[in-house]
Formats: sequence, structure tokens, C-alpha cells
Amino acid sequence: MTNPISMNQLETIAADVHAEQAKYRGMLMVCNGTGCVAAKGFEIKKILNDKLAEHGLQDQWLVVGTGCNGFCAVGPIVVVQPEGIFYQKLKEKDVETLVTEHLVGGKPVEKLMHKNPVTGAINPKMEDISFFTKQQLVALRNKGLIDPENLDHYIARGGYTALRRVITENRPGDVIAEITRSGLRGRGGGGFPAGVKWASGRKAMERRGCEIYVVCNADEGDPGAFMDRSIIESDPYAVIEGMTLGAFAVGASEGFIYIRKEYPLALVRLNKALDAARAAGLLGGGIFGTDFSFEIRIHRGAGAFVCGESSALMASMAGRAGEPRAKYVHNVEYGFRDKPTVLNNVETWANVPPILEKGAAWFAGMGTGDVKDNPWNGSSGTKVFSLVGKVRNTGLVEVPMGITLREIIEDVGGGVPDGRTFKAVQTGGPSGGCIPASHLDMPVDFDSLTELGSMMGSGGMIVMDDRTCMVDVARYFVDFLVDESCGKCTPCREGLFALSRILRRICDGHGEEGDLDMLEAICDTVRETSLCQLGGSAPNPVLSTLKFFRDEYEAHIHEKRCPAGVCKPLISYRILEPECTGCGACVKPCPTAAITGEKKKTHTIDAEKCIRCGICFEVCKFHAVEVK
Amino acid sequence: MIRVNNLHDIPWREGLTVQDVLDHLKYSYALITVTLGDELVEPERYADTSVPDGCAMTVFHLAHGG
Amino acid sequence: MAPEKIDITINDKKVTVLEDSMLIKAVIGAGIALPTLCYHKDLTPNGTCRLCVCEIEIKGKKRLVTACNYPVRQEMTVWTSSERVQKHRKLLAQMYLGRWPNVPVIQDVARRCGVTDGAAFASDLTDPNPKACILCGHCVKACDEFIQERILDFAGRGILRHLTMPFGESDPHCIGCTSCAHVCPTGAIQIIDDTNHPVDPDMIRRHGMKVNAEMATLDKNQCCMREVGTANIVEVMDRYDLLPVHNYKFGQHPDTYKVDSQVLRKKYFTQNNPDACWFGCSMSCAKAVDGFELKTGPYKGHRVTVDGPEYETVGACTNMGCFDPDFIVEFNFYCDTYGIDIISAGTGMAFVMECFEAGVITTADTGGLELRFGACDEVLECIHQMSRGEGFGVEVGQGVRQLKEKWIREGRGDAQFIRDIGMEVKGLEYSEYVPKESLAQQAGYAMAVKGPQHDEAWLIFMDMVNNQIPSFEDKAEALYYFPLWRTWFGLHGLCKIVWNDVAPADNKKYAPQQAAKIPEHVDNYFKFFEGMTGEKLDEEKMLAQSARVHNLQRLMSVLFGFGTRAEDTPPYRSLGPVTEEEYLSRAERYDGQLRSVLGLDPEKMTLDEKRATLRTHRESQYQKVMDAAYARRGWSQNGIPTKARLRELGIDLPELLALAAD
Ligand SMILES: Cc1cc2nc3c(=O)[nH]c(=O)nc-3n(C[C@H](O)[C@H](O)[C@H](O)COP(=O)(O)O)c2cc1C
Ligand code: SF4
Ligand code: SF4
Ligand code: SF4
Ligand code: SF4
Ligand code: FES
Ligand code: FES
Repeated sequence: MTNPISMNQLETIAADVHAEQAKYRGMLMVCNGTGCVAAKGFEIKKILNDKLAEHGLQDQWLVVGTGCNGFCAVGPIVVVQPEGIFYQKLKEKDVETLVTEHLVGGKPVEKLMHKNPVTGAINPKMEDISFFTKQQLVALRNKGLIDPENLDHYIARGGYTALRRVITENRPGDVIAEITRSGLRGRGGGGFPAGVKWASGRKAMERRGCEIYVVCNADEGDPGAFMDRSIIESDPYAVIEGMTLGAFAVGASEGFIYIRKEYPLALVRLNKALDAARAAGLLGGGIFGTDFSFEIRIHRGAGAFVCGESSALMASMAGRAGEPRAKYVHNVEYGFRDKPTVLNNVETWANVPPILEKGAAWFAGMGTGDVKDNPWNGSSGTKVFSLVGKVRNTGLVEVPMGITLREIIEDVGGGVPDGRTFKAVQTGGPSGGCIPASHLDMPVDFDSLTELGSMMGSGGMIVMDDRTCMVDVARYFVDFLVDESCGKCTPCREGLFALSRILRRICDGHGEEGDLDMLEAICDTVRETSLCQLGGSAPNPVLSTLKFFRDEYEAHIHEKRCPAGVCKPLISYRILEPECTGCGACVKPCPTAAITGEKKKTHTIDAEKCIRCGICFEVCKFHAVEVK
Repeated sequence: MIRVNNLHDIPWREGLTVQDVLDHLKYSYALITVTLGDELVEPERYADTSVPDGCAMTVFHLAHGG
Repeated sequence: MAPEKIDITINDKKVTVLEDSMLIKAVIGAGIALPTLCYHKDLTPNGTCRLCVCEIEIKGKKRLVTACNYPVRQEMTVWTSSERVQKHRKLLAQMYLGRWPNVPVIQDVARRCGVTDGAAFASDLTDPNPKACILCGHCVKACDEFIQERILDFAGRGILRHLTMPFGESDPHCIGCTSCAHVCPTGAIQIIDDTNHPVDPDMIRRHGMKVNAEMATLDKNQCCMREVGTANIVEVMDRYDLLPVHNYKFGQHPDTYKVDSQVLRKKYFTQNNPDACWFGCSMSCAKAVDGFELKTGPYKGHRVTVDGPEYETVGACTNMGCFDPDFIVEFNFYCDTYGIDIISAGTGMAFVMECFEAGVITTADTGGLELRFGACDEVLECIHQMSRGEGFGVEVGQGVRQLKEKWIREGRGDAQFIRDIGMEVKGLEYSEYVPKESLAQQAGYAMAVKGPQHDEAWLIFMDMVNNQIPSFEDKAEALYYFPLWRTWFGLHGLCKIVWNDVAPADNKKYAPQQAAKIPEHVDNYFKFFEGMTGEKLDEEKMLAQSARVHNLQRLMSVLFGFGTRAEDTPPYRSLGPVTEEEYLSRAERYDGQLRSVLGLDPEKMTLDEKRATLRTHRESQYQKVMDAAYARRGWSQNGIPTKARLRELGIDLPELLALAAD
């Protein structure tokens, strides 16, 4: 589209898209999110087009590249619409089969479908797959259904009707009130009610009589998290419309998206979407032909975790070192360029258009608590999590707030694989806490997670099984934070480093009497005196594991033993007499040739030579290798 | 009546403040020092310091050109 | 608006603080000491050591805050060393000791927190150097806030944080101002070379840092020199009827808002740069306009950096009736580029314009240029002609005195009128203040040795507004002290601006007469002198040093024929209203003077009578002020230094004595 569109054109555009699609027998939605692209998603799309042409079907089937479906572990994915047949893990050679058997032959290809990892049953359709059944899509409402580079597709799914209504009614105050009543709380970690933040921003702008900015935080520094990237890749217009709505509400005419450098595909899509929105008169001067103007510029972050913190982000945007500052004076009053600045997370922005389209009550109807009069009073709506670690189905899931951890891990995630048992789930990114099995029935929302010594964070969820050492986990996250601390304030800089030294010492078997008290004391000071929330939340992994898995620490210190068999200096491998059949399968793989034994006789490990790599443990089919 | 800088006579009224006098004389320079009789008035108190009738007020401008 | 006052309780003690002031100020004010390692009273808070942590309670909610950067905004109770606070401080002190065990400031702070051992935090990063950098950040802030250079900053994340210059190299942009070393609490930054070999570098530094601190903390609430330079007074002069408009006819103009310092700040001046005349000046009032696109002349279309505009430049333009800021910047650029003095150009053009409007000259003389007040394009064309040595520009370039004489010689218009409005003395054009209502400044201008420049004396506010120097003796005293004091700066290559374009916060503790001298700043200069030369200086010595030069300068002026009473007499425009229009524009003022000073009834006089009477009065007043000033300076009534005065000053060269009066 190159001409500005007027308000009454939205329906025409939607109708045109639908009419265009109706010319086809169906559509082939090829996932072109980063995950599937890495697994040759682009190639699959090209081959599909080629094959359709070969078979002369190009006028019957429309191939659409979409954003991430959230189930990257089984990518590349192709969904055949309108039936919704879900094909996964496609190889280039599978495309021919798909075309000839399904499209030509009319018979869906079972061997390319998803199987239930437990029962082995075949799930032909997306909604049959347990990974998808409990999901409820708001922020990801368009994932897999539209071409993210096509503004018309977005409009055809109801896009920009919210902006049209809001601009027509022209009551910015009402927009803010609606967002407040919806109970929408920030998805970037803090869980601050978006409406309340907008209202303060607007007030500061009016009091000071100056510009105000809206900013989208797309820094997403949590390791393993990719919610925000996926939203941008699959539905960039949702973020752009959300920001435009926010700008209208608070009175901004300039906005910024701070996006990390490691997200090249998201950046490309974002830039294309911004250009298209500008060309359509939905961004820039005179939106919808009114006198409301709003422009969005992109700032690229170099990828420091701390730059996701609001004041560090604004320092980085201003060209200074990405270091936080004291927030006794809030960013909504003095933020970017010292002007009032409303910062929200990608997912927060993406939730704004549907709320204003369907109303606050609809949104507040999902989730926990009664947020109608007080947004602090619960957690409404849905939340996108990146579910990783020891679960069968890893990926991106959007579930209603208040769903239990058990439902997410067992139903959506399909439970812990390989016959192991669940031990803990770490939520909230590197500075979240570890929640043990005893709390699996806890509803997931902002306040319950905080109460348990963890946090929502931006939605990372790492599942751990019984082969995970919790001291090692704490050490891992603390080390991450030692590297990512900006180093500005003393407790975070020196305190985390000290925590890391003590944890390492414990893992190495040199833990001392008094170490746990020292850990707790340092955690306390780091938590209470750090300048920003990186330091403020950094002790969580240590404190939560100390709380729920203290015995593991004690075993390390007093018995010099790692119960999970992870900390190398504390474990030894041994071959058990009755189980070992003398098959010799372990001999070759052992990197240090530590295993000897005659054929058909019990083998032995030379403890001097063994470097505790665990390979023999993995290869032995008879469970004859024991780790202690 | 009050006298400012031994130069300007300004009619006195109930509740007249230092700030009122400055406004009246259009004294808006940043580096000024105000005294009422012998007493120094801090800038924060201009608005709530009242000027007594018959008082000699000085408004001293600290400026010496470029 | 004045900030609110807020009552807070600190350790059971009630104190009142100003809204938004930092909590630490209140704590220190209450006589309570806090351990700190990153707080410096003259720098904005770093808030990084966290040692100043205090516990506060607001509406029943308790929390910890760092006092150094917590702005007080509501009533609260504060505990500066609750158990919770002490516990954290102890641990923080241990962290510091563990990393830098031998740094005296750390040992001292730790002791105050009740800690002497940091072994628990010892690691392979422990640095035994007693002069180690402890990452307090003072140097970084000093480099930025004192002199706006930003040469130093931290690099490395987390535990790898360290102080560095860009790319870890010694940065050639470091100007060696030593601010960083001065504020470093550990001696980690050391000065290895004082290039000018002063006798007592530390004395110079201590007093220089005082100026730095005032600039960093006070300027933004005083004159905003860093943001807008001397242009800050454009609107001030307008408000006090002192901004020259239309060749000094008036002191105000309704369009001044188009060219005032707010406009320059918002649209023109580059901010936060060390735009100073010389390296290390923390005032940096020079200012610059970057990327300005020229519309005329040989560089038309080029984007250039323009040094300025400062106050005089704007005043020169308002004097020509030009209230277009783009014009001002362009005029500024071309005067600089052509090597034309902006003040002479502006005052000269203003004279030409008034002559044009009065019909003394016409387009036949100007080569077709309609040189009315406000004719921006024509002014620029004239300047370009001047540079090319062509046309009417060449004539204007001769200066006001030459033009006056020529036009009078050629019998154009009324000779008296031309003499009255040609604003020059000794052949030099006036600088850009209207001196009409300040007798002292009329003399300050016209008696200045080099011509009507205010760099000997600027007494307008002292005289006209403050009424500090009412008698002829008072004025004479000011005309004695200030020229000598100001001459002294020039003699030592020091700048006048840091003397009085920022004032110490407590300068008001002095009586106005004293306050006008800004005694602490005068002392700074004395200390600079002493630190450099080793010789103690006081006011008397300073005046003696200066008087020798000032008198010599005057003798030179005598030698060249300018050092006489006649040459110290200004054109009437400097003393009072020349034209009817001018009188009528301030009729209330002038009528009032006739009434109160001369006891006349202006109602009963014609306008011509009133003008003539006022003129006679003002001219005679001027003669009296000259008499008094000559006497105070030890000069004859013809304005020539006497032999006695020269001997008193130790000047005994016969050639000089020969020039002197008896
Ligand atoms: C160390 C640190 C890292 C953060 N990283 C992110 C991030 O990557 N993305 C994000 O949206 N918010 C991040 N936040 C939260 C932001 O500071 C801020 O609260 C949020 O962007 C506000 O938007 P919201 O209210 O919509 O969540 C981080 C906070 C901290 C303390
Ligand atoms: S808490 Fe950590 S990340 Fe935050 S300012 Fe302090 S050192 Fe930097
Ligand atoms: S753990 Fe590794 S090194 Fe040790 S015996 Fe087994 S394979 Fe060999
Ligand atoms: S000497 Fe001056 S310019 Fe150089 S680094 Fe230190 S403060 Fe900055
Ligand atoms: S060099 Fe000195 S002033 Fe600079 S951070 Fe280190 S200790 Fe502080
Ligand atoms: S990229 Fe295809 S499912 Fe995530
Ligand atoms: S003095 Fe260092 S944080 Fe306040």
C-alpha cells in the first residue's frame, strides 16, 4: 500500500484480503520465525512454491510466510489452512510428499505430523497438540495466521480498528482509564500497571508543559527468552499500533523502540512494518488524515542485560554508558532527554490494541484477582512464557494468568522426559528464583511468584529434573549476573563477585562452616542496598535455592557430596558388579581410556584417570555405571 | 510609603511583599540581593516576606557588564 | 516559584528542608556525620558506594534510601544508623576493605562503620596499593561537570569496572586541568608536571576549584553563562531600558524576545560543550552555533560553525534595529571572518542608518542600499562590500568619526545633530549599552583610555539601579577603583568574567558596597597571582600595580593627542535625548527630572525648552563628574596625569614626566 488510507477503508482492505484468499483452495502457512528459519524455513517456503508450480497448483494454494508459532523445537513448521493440519520437522525432501499426497492426493501425510511424546498418538491438527490446547492468545493472536510483512493481513485481522475508534472519539483520558481498568500490568518484569504509568506520564507532561516520549523495551536480555523477539517477528504491527495508541493517550508525538542487536530478523520486519505504516498514513504526520502525528524511531542496543533496565536503557539511548541511575525521580517525570517518558515492554504494547478493541472487561475477565477498581489487585490477561529445560515440549506459550505451574509444565510442556522426575522450575530470568515441586499447584501471577521468592520477570521458565544440582544452578545464574552487572554500585559489583566465589568453593568441595550464613548476609545487603533491580533481584537464585534445597548445600559442605551428581570435584563414577554385562560399550567412548575389563566380565574405572565426563554413564544400556 | 534603593518611593499597602516590590519595579535580574533595613531576605522568602510601612529596602543588582 | 519547605525528623531531631533538596544536606545540616565514599559536595551525586544508606519512614512504610541522591519531597522520619542500616554498612565496608585494604579513606570509613577487617572479601582482585582507584567517580564527574570535557569514564562491566580514557590510551583531548586529580580521594590520579612551574600550584588549584564548583553548581541558577554565555543579559538589558535600539535612541524594543538568550539557547547554541576561550575554563561562556547555513556572501550555502553570538553582538544588531536571529548569526560570522570588529560595525551601521532615515545621506550615497533601521540584507551587503573594498561599504568602514567629519564637511544636514548622534569617543565606536541614565557610566565610557569600551568600568547598575554611588565623590571612587581593577586582569592575561558573572552563594553576607567587589573572587585572583609568583597581593598592591600601567597608557594617549578633557567628552546621545522623538518616548522620566532635580514645572515649558534645559543640566553634571574623577586619579583638570602622581607611582623617566601636567 502506498497511499494513505482513510478511516472507512479498513473494512474494504479486510474484505479485499479475504476475497483474495478466497480465490484459493487453501493456504500453506510456512513458519518463518527465527527458529524455523534456522531449520531451513526459507528454503521450505521456496521449495513449496516451486513444487506448487510444478504441479500447476500455484493458483489453488497460497503460500504465506508467518512469524514464530512458538513451537520452534519441532520446526520447520507448515500449517495447511483452513483445516489446520500441522506438519512439523519438515525436511526439504518432505515437501514433495506433502504436495503430492496431501494437496494433490487429498490425503494428509501422517508421518509428517506431530505425535504425542507420551502416548505416541498422532495429532493432525494444531488444536490436538497438548502444547497448544491450553494456550490462550492475546499478545500472540496473529502468530502463524498472517504474513508479518503485510500490513493488509494485519488489518484483515481487525488491526487498526482500535486506533480508529480512539482517534475518532478523541478522549485520551478515557483511553488511559480503559487500560487502567483492564488491569494490564507491565510484561517486562516489574508488573507495574500500564494505565497508572501512562497517567503519571501525561500528568508530568502537562505539569511541565513539555514533550513526552513513549518507548518500547525490546532489549530482552534474559538468556533463553525470546517472547519479545517472536512477537515482533510474527506481528510487528501489534507493537506499532499499541505504541501509537499509547502515544495518543499520553500526548506523545515521538516514540522509540530499543531493540537488541542480536535480533536481525525482528529488526528487518520492524523496519518494513514501520515503512508500510508510514506509507499508509498510520504513522508519521497526520495519522488517518487527522492532525495527530506520531513517529517511531529505532535505537539498537549492543546487547547488555542491564540495558533492559529502564534508566540504563534511556542512558544507552542518549549515547551514554548503559548504567542505571537512582530512580527516586521516576522516568515518567524525567526520562529520556530528561523529558517525561513512558516505557513499556513489547508484550505490554502488543496487548494494548486488543484491549481497546474488545474492552477492559474482556481483558480483566482473564487472569486472577479483581482488577476493575485497582490494577494492583490481581493479574489480568495472559502471559507469554518461554518454556525450556527438561520438558518434552519446549517453546513459546501464551497462557492465561492464574494457570498453575503444573498445567504449564505437565500439560503444555508435556512433563519431564526420559523417565526423570521434576525437581524445580526457575522463573523470571537469571535473577528469578527456583520453585520446587511442592509449589507446582500455585497459580502463576505477578504476586504469587514474588511471594515465593521468585518473580514473573519477562517470562522465562526453565524446568529442571532430578539430575540438576541446585547449588550449581545458583552458581550459574550468579556468574551470569557477575558478568552482566554494570559494576556501578558496590554491593552488586563486589557482593555478587563474593557470592560467586563462595558458591564456586562449595561446588568445588571447599565449602566451609559459616558459608551459608555469609551467603545469606551478602544476599541481604545486595538485595537491600543495590542501586537498581539487577542487584536488587540478583540474590533470588541463591536465596530461593537456600530456602527450598538447603540440604543440597549442606551435603556439599559437610559431606563433600553433590546429591545430583553434577559437581565434578564431588562425584565419582563406578561400574556396578551385577549390572555390568561386560559388553565393553563404554571402553571406546571414554576420552581418557580409564575403563578396562575383559569381554563379558565386569569392567572397572581407574579413578585416577577418570575426568568425570559422564559419557560412560550415558552409553551404558544396563545402568551399570553409577555416579555418586 | 516605602523607599527602594533610596531612589523609588512606592506606596505601601497591607500585605505588600518583597516579591510585589520587585515585580512593581520590574526587577528580575538573577543576581540580586534584597535587604529590608539591615536584614537580608533569602530569595526563597521573597514571596512570603512582607515589607513594613516606612521601611527602607535595598535591591542590590550584582552586575558589571561584559 | 519558590520551593516548598518540608519538615522532617532525623534521629528524633526536627529539621526543615527545601523540597527536592538531597537528604544528605539535611543530615549534614543537622550535625550528623554519614560515612560516604562517593559523595562530593560540589558534584552531582554518584550514588554508588551505598554507604550513606539511611532508613526512612513515610506514611508508616519503612524503606532504605541513599541519602546523597534522595530528594526530599514529603514529610518523613529518618534514621541514619538504625540496626538495619548499620548491618549493611558493615558489610559494604568489608567489601571495600577486602578489595582495597590499604587505602586510607577506606580504612577510615570502615573504622567509622565499626569494621577493621575485610578478609571475608579478599580475592585475587585484592589490590594492596594505598593509592588504588576505588571507583568513586569523582574524577569522571569533575571532568564533566567542572570543565565539560568528559575525558574520563568507566569501562568494563561488573567486577571488571575500571577508570579509563577513551580506548585505554592517554587522550590528547585531556587539557591537563587537573580537576580530576584534585577531587580524587586516594591519590590515584597524580599530576606529574606543572608546565608553567608555578611557585605554589596547589594554591592556584584550590582557588580554581572554587570557581569550578561555583560554575558547576550555581551558574544554572544565576546567569546561565554555560548555556547562553554573555547573551544572558540581552533580556535583562531590555527590561532595564539599557539595550541599545536604533543607534542608542531607546533602551527597549518589543521584538527583543525574538533574539533573547532563550531563543539562542533553544535554536542556536550547541549545549554541553566546553566552548571556552581557553582550555580548562569552567565557565565556557564563548558558546558556538554549529552547522549554521549561510544565506549570503562568498560562503553562501556552506554550513559553518559560528563563534558566538555574545551579548555585544546581539546588542550591535538591536542597535541597527535588526531582530532576526538568523541575521545576527550570519552578521557575527562575516564580521569574524572578515576581521571586522562587531561592535564598531554595529554601532557604525546604526549611525549610518539614523543618518539615512534623517536624510543626511540617501541611496545616491549608499549605492542604492536602503539603509533603514532593520535592513538586515542591506547591512550584510554593506559588510560584504567593506570586505571587497567596494562601494559604500568602503565609506562605512572608515568608522563613525571619519563619517561624521566628512558629512559635516560636505555640509549635509545639521552638523550639531550629526555630532550628537555619532556614537564614538577618541575615534572608537561605543559598545552596546545605553548610558543615558547613568552619569557614572557616561564617564566610565568616555574617560576610558582606549575609547568608549566598558572594559574599564561598567557602573550602570551600581549607579542607576542600586543607587550605590550617589555623590560625585562616590562616582569618582568607582571611576578610580574599577578601571584599575579591570586593567589588572588584562595585565595578567586573566579573564574578567569569572570575577562577577557568577557569585558565591553567600556573597550576600557582605554589605552592598563590598558585595559589589565580590571579595572572595577578588581574593581568588590574588591567590592565583601569589601561587604563580610567590608574592602576596592585597588590594592596595594590586591597585598600585595597575595604576602604573593605567597612567602610562594615559600618557601614551596624551602623546597621540587623545588624552585630553575634550577627548573625554562624549556625544550628547550618550548623556541625554537628542531628538524630540527620543525625549517624548521617555517624557515621564525627563519631565520628572526637570521637576524634582531642577525644580521646574514641565507643564509650563515647550518641548524645545525642556530639551535644552535638560541638556544644559546633564552636560554640566558630566563636567562635574569628570572634575571629581580627574581629582581622584591624580590627573589635571585637562585629564593629564600630574608629575606628583607619576612620582608617587615610581614613574620617573624624564620622557614621561615631560608629557605630564604640573
Ligand atoms: C536488570 C534488568 C533488566 C531488564 N530487562 C528488561 C528487558 O529486557 N525487557 C523489558 O521489557 N524489561 C526489562 N526490565 C524491566 C524494565 O526496567 C521496565 O520495568 C520495563 O521495561 C517496563 O515496561 P513494562 O511496565 O511494560 O514491563 C529489566 C529490568 C531490570 C532491573
Ligand atoms: S545493582 Fe548492579 S546493575 Fe544495578 S546499578 Fe548497581 S552494579 Fe549496576
Ligand atoms: S566418566 Fe568419562 S572419563 Fe570417567 S570413566 Fe566414564 S567415560 Fe571415562
Ligand atoms: S585533567 Fe582535566 S581534562 Fe584531563 S581528565 Fe582530568 S579533569 Fe579531564
Ligand atoms: S581515580 Fe580517584 S576520583 Fe577517580 S574514580 Fe578512582 S578513586 Fe575516584
Ligand atoms: S520459529 Fe517456527 S515455531 Fe518458532
Ligand atoms: S555517598 Fe555513596 S551512595 Fe551516597
